[in-house]
Amino acid sequence: MIRLPEPKAATLAKRDAIIAGLRRILRDSGVIAEAARLKPYEMDGLTAFRQPPLAVALPETTEQLAAVLRFLNQEGVRVIPRGAGTSLSGGALPLADGVVIGMMRMNRILEIDYDDRFAVVQAGVTNLGITAAMQSDGFFYAPDPSSQLACMIGGNVAMNSGGAHCLKYGVTANNLLGLKIVTIEGEILDIGGMHLDAAGYDWLGLLTGSEGQLAMVSEVTVRILRAAEGQRAMLAAFRSNEIAGACVDRIIGSGIIPVALEFMDRPAIHACEDFAHAGYPLDAEALLIIEVEGSVAEQDELLGRIRAMCDEFDPISCRVSQSAEESAAIWKGRKGAFGAVGRISPDYLCMDGTIPTGQLPLVLRRIGEMSDHYRLKVANIFHAGDGNLHPLIMFDANDADSFHRAEAFGADILCLCVEVGGCLTGEHGVGVEKRDLMHRQFTEIELDQQRAIKSAFDPDWLLNPAKVFPLVAA
Amino acid sequence: MQTNFSVEQLRDSDNAASNSVLRTCVHCGFCTATCPTFVLLGDELDSPRGRIYLIKEMLESGKPATEEVVRHVDRCLSCLSCMTTCPSGVNYMHLVDHARRYIEETYKRPWPERLMRGALGRVLPHPRLFRLALRGAALARPAAGLIPTGTMTGKRLQAMLSLAPAKLPPQSAAQKPQIHRAEGARRGRVALLTGCAQTVLAPSINEATIRLLTRLGIEVVIPAAIGCCGALTHHMGQHDPAMAAARAAITGWTREIEGEGLDAILINTSGCGTTVKDYGFMFRDAPPAEAAQAKRVAALAADISEYLVRIGYQPQRPAPDLTVAYHSACSLQHGQKITSAPKDLLKTAGFSVVEPRDPHLCCGSAGTYNIMQPEIAGQLRSRKLATLKDRRPDLIAAGNIGCITQLSGDGMPVLHTVELLDWMAGGPRPDAIGQSDV
Amino acid sequence: MIAMAERSDIAAADEAELAVLVAQAATDRRPLLVQGFGSKSGMLRPVQADATISTRRLSGVTLYSPRELVISALAGTPLDEIEAVLRQSGQQLTAEPPDLSGLLGSDAGQSWGGMVAGNLSGPRRIAWGATRDHVMGIRVINGRGEVIRSGGRVLKNVTGLDLCKLLAGSQGTLGIMTEITLKVLPAPATTGAIIIRGLDANQGVSALSAALGSPFGVSGAAFLPSWAAETIPALGSQSVTIIRIEDFPHSVAYRLDQLSGVLARFGRAETLDDLTSRAVWKAIRDVTPLRPGASEAVWHLSTRPSHGPQLLALIEAAGARGIMDWGGGRIWAAGPGTEAVHGTVMRAVRDLGGHFTLMRAPDSLRTAVPVVPEEAPALAALTRRVKAAMDPAGIFNPGRLYAGL
Repeated sequence: MIRLPEPKAATLAKRDAIIAGLRRILRDSGVIAEAARLKPYEMDGLTAFRQPPLAVALPETTEQLAAVLRFLNQEGVRVIPRGAGTSLSGGALPLADGVVIGMMRMNRILEIDYDDRFAVVQAGVTNLGITAAMQSDGFFYAPDPSSQLACMIGGNVAMNSGGAHCLKYGVTANNLLGLKIVTIEGEILDIGGMHLDAAGYDWLGLLTGSEGQLAMVSEVTVRILRAAEGQRAMLAAFRSNEIAGACVDRIIGSGIIPVALEFMDRPAIHACEDFAHAGYPLDAEALLIIEVEGSVAEQDELLGRIRAMCDEFDPISCRVSQSAEESAAIWKGRKGAFGAVGRISPDYLCMDGTIPTGQLPLVLRRIGEMSDHYRLKVANIFHAGDGNLHPLIMFDANDADSFHRAEAFGADILCLCVEVGGCLTGEHGVGVEKRDLMHRQFTEIELDQQRAIKSAFDPDWLLNPAKVFPLVAA
Repeated sequence: MQTNFSVEQLRDSDNAASNSVLRTCVHCGFCTATCPTFVLLGDELDSPRGRIYLIKEMLESGKPATEEVVRHVDRCLSCLSCMTTCPSGVNYMHLVDHARRYIEETYKRPWPERLMRGALGRVLPHPRLFRLALRGAALARPAAGLIPTGTMTGKRLQAMLSLAPAKLPPQSAAQKPQIHRAEGARRGRVALLTGCAQTVLAPSINEATIRLLTRLGIEVVIPAAIGCCGALTHHMGQHDPAMAAARAAITGWTREIEGEGLDAILINTSGCGTTVKDYGFMFRDAPPAEAAQAKRVAALAADISEYLVRIGYQPQRPAPDLTVAYHSACSLQHGQKITSAPKDLLKTAGFSVVEPRDPHLCCGSAGTYNIMQPEIAGQLRSRKLATLKDRRPDLIAAGNIGCITQLSGDGMPVLHTVELLDWMAGGPRPDAIGQSDV
Repeated sequence: MIAMAERSDIAAADEAELAVLVAQAATDRRPLLVQGFGSKSGMLRPVQADATISTRRLSGVTLYSPRELVISALAGTPLDEIEAVLRQSGQQLTAEPPDLSGLLGSDAGQSWGGMVAGNLSGPRRIAWGATRDHVMGIRVINGRGEVIRSGGRVLKNVTGLDLCKLLAGSQGTLGIMTEITLKVLPAPATTGAIIIRGLDANQGVSALSAALGSPFGVSGAAFLPSWAAETIPALGSQSVTIIRIEDFPHSVAYRLDQLSGVLARFGRAETLDDLTSRAVWKAIRDVTPLRPGASEAVWHLSTRPSHGPQLLALIEAAGARGIMDWGGGRIWAAGPGTEAVHGTVMRAVRDLGGHFTLMRAPDSLRTAVPVVPEEAPALAALTRRVKAAMDPAGIFNPGRLYAGL
């Protein structure tokens, strides 16, 4: 079990008063305080760690959120921001003396402007909900984390979420114009706006990916883009992970940047096919999903060139999607991949390191060796184009030993990523899960610098404590 | 997901089944996004993932259900949208069915609610009683304004009265147990589940089904002694009445299967279809012979739209210039995964077919839900009607009497898909469309 | 040990020496003017410092992996040198950083670190992101003389707080970047542009908006009033609304053709060939039409694109002139370097929503006025606290962004 900070005795002692205070702001319907009803809030998408919170608060407006934060700050109560609770790094893991602030009720789209290409949405709008509101007009919001159906934009900002298409369109940080944030003191601040690149410090950039350490996000102004004329995916199946890795290197090196370049190994292919029935090649050891966009002729030209490059690597098969439905099924499989692994294993740990793409074959081989060593299966799903790896380590939570092996296996993979020049997390965030590995990537001085910046926003360390930074100073 | 059942607990078949459902869940949260109550209420506890967790804790504890858990399980529509979304293949239906039964057996509800649930379970599945009750409701309607709506019970009574039609259609002889012979050469033989509430509320649906099938050369059997399929009580957690009703149906159909034989057991109320198709699971612990019968019945069960696609459907009339907004009943799209068949059939019939935004969201009908949870059901109804009307249709089609009742009364004709198919294949123009050209 | 007291212009030989110098300055509370080659020293507010500390001797590309789309170089590396290295592999800096030597009146040349510290981006920003969007990793010396790394050399990284973004655009006020890694992309095989002549600013921005709202991947969208168009040989004497496509040759031809159709309602679209397009877009990137006089001020304004024409009209009424880029969302403006005109600019930006940066002005003006908008009190407090977190002794570029900071 992960180590969490000692609950503050003073907070626990005035639990009733805290709940009464929250109810004054949010009425009964916005506060959850009974033990049985707090249980389902004890974890997010990372099931390895659990801790019910002191209470859950569900504000419906920015003003309510500000009032709640002001109150909790006065009382010195720790705060755990939560969106859809899909974090795979335990970003929303509660503390026994902490109040979870759930943003799910702030789920309205406030404004969409096609002329100036932005949308203003509340933090609890789902990622896909933004695109869904505008796709009939041909526009979309680009970052597309695999959990985009459920995950909320506030959480995307907190984690700087990426996705399959960020090779071309960038991650969350590259697609924001403005934020409405609430500080721990309960101050409502507008950052950025409907324009690009203000001078002064890049608050937008600093807040994005700050994992709820600096402030809470209540509204987001996103850049929206007109979708290309069309897109088509191609499935290229290979005889080994290494060969597929080499093919990725070849494509990127050629000067073509596909909009998406995804990698799956055999266990992942089988689990996803079972869920999505996308026609993934079940005889392949490794599969690349390569997507291009543009007019049909442009797609043909690009796919032709990519196909020729794949052919240099003796593929088992190359198949180009023939319809929108087929493409949708291909992506449904890929985006449901993590959950689909639930079909072959009761539990998994999802890693998220990034490596220089040239190291792909080496890292894949080493992961295979570790899998033998720890006697745990692993399904590999990667954003190959940008080197962001998602090895899914399969274990059985009802078997404590297998969980401990899975944890050690995961740590080994992440250390390997750092060792070859990469990082611990590409898009899921440090959360609680990788907190204690931060020393592998940063020196104590570097961590202290980051802590000092956190303290500038949150002097008493009430915002999402026990995440991101190793516990020592927290 | 980790579970904490004792070895002793796992000896219980229901616990064992729920344990394996829970083990499949990886807590990814995808299901929350497509859950109607989560979208409306914005609380993890009113999402599938939250309920799965509440149920897990409740079952593991082995203690009686508490009000805190019951409230959230009761708010579940059992629309099964979460099962369509779930990448891991979690069988939420079996889990929530178990939870409802567990609650029914261990939790003492406040007496007005107990009374109401008992009455619904006794009346709705029995056409004679249901008709009487509806007559009573029609009489009581002028007094509806006198019911205080400050309490949940008041709201529920109001909801019940507002759902009851002012005028009941005349009884239909076609629905009585009998054999409807095929016109011309017999191409097939099916049993039709005429249903319980449907026979009272809209006999035209069964009439249209029978006309259409016999015209297509299918003999339609309505076996005696089959009333409700058990779905209504099953969804209220009333295990014994549900099993008794299901057992009667299985016996009746088995007689036909082993007699002249059946190509299919047809169901035109998709809520029932989901349950009949699950008989194999419901009777998994029954004596082997009965379990085998249940499995056989489940395997033969088919929605009318599924069957029509199988045997081929062609219209006989020129295409009407009508736009149909197709409302996909949850039991059809999520429970039975039938999504394209009804739309394809309507298109073949000559209608132009449109779909509302968020077609995966429930209309709020959900068996007795619109009575027991009138506020949420009302919000879902408004939302559904608004998104349907956005598409500017002439009428709405659905494959489930519950949805049809729920969506009616807003000025837009709501029909069963099969009534439209029958019309275009030579049957009479459905009354609901009216005689003038729409 | 280098004794700083005797020297007012120090160029450290390496990162370690720089760190020692900074630590010493911090101990002594001696303010430092931080710069690369000094090409942007006329921007923003003048810095009152005891000494100038330069990164110009920290020079050279330290890592270039074309297949992994990354390049690292020491902060004092001339930008020209890096662009030449990239060209050899058919790659480029995605954000198209401008060469503002003409605009700022400096021929010092631009350093790698200066480009990032200023977060300046060219026309392509609107499609492919700003310079800050491509910063993958930095090494920076903080105000305690400690070497801090943030990010790394991989394309996706959310490990810890993103100090890369915080430092990019911080104008040397938070730390001294010593090495920076950027994501790079293949340079397009071809470019092309279409222009429509004679539109007014409102029509021009509507046309740009239609182009940017089309599915054809526009990578540049600018409006040049007639006086500005006249300064570019290929464009002639009428106002020019110009839209760029960059891609493979077939695609460029196809998309320009489609765009001409999309924009037909605004006027006849003419096509510029590859070479002409490149030349014109370089002129727009480097803001050559503006040609500010010695006593004039230059502003960089950012606003909601559809508010661009109104903003332009307001500053024109005050005697300034400007060209619009980023589909109308950015205005490069020049005009009399007086408090009155600057006041108009500040009010116009405040009323219409947006941001200004005083890029160049007589010292008297840039000392006296806010050079970027004042932040709301709570935000200004955060600015002070974050500055203190990075630079507790307040030695880096004091006063450059805000008076007293």
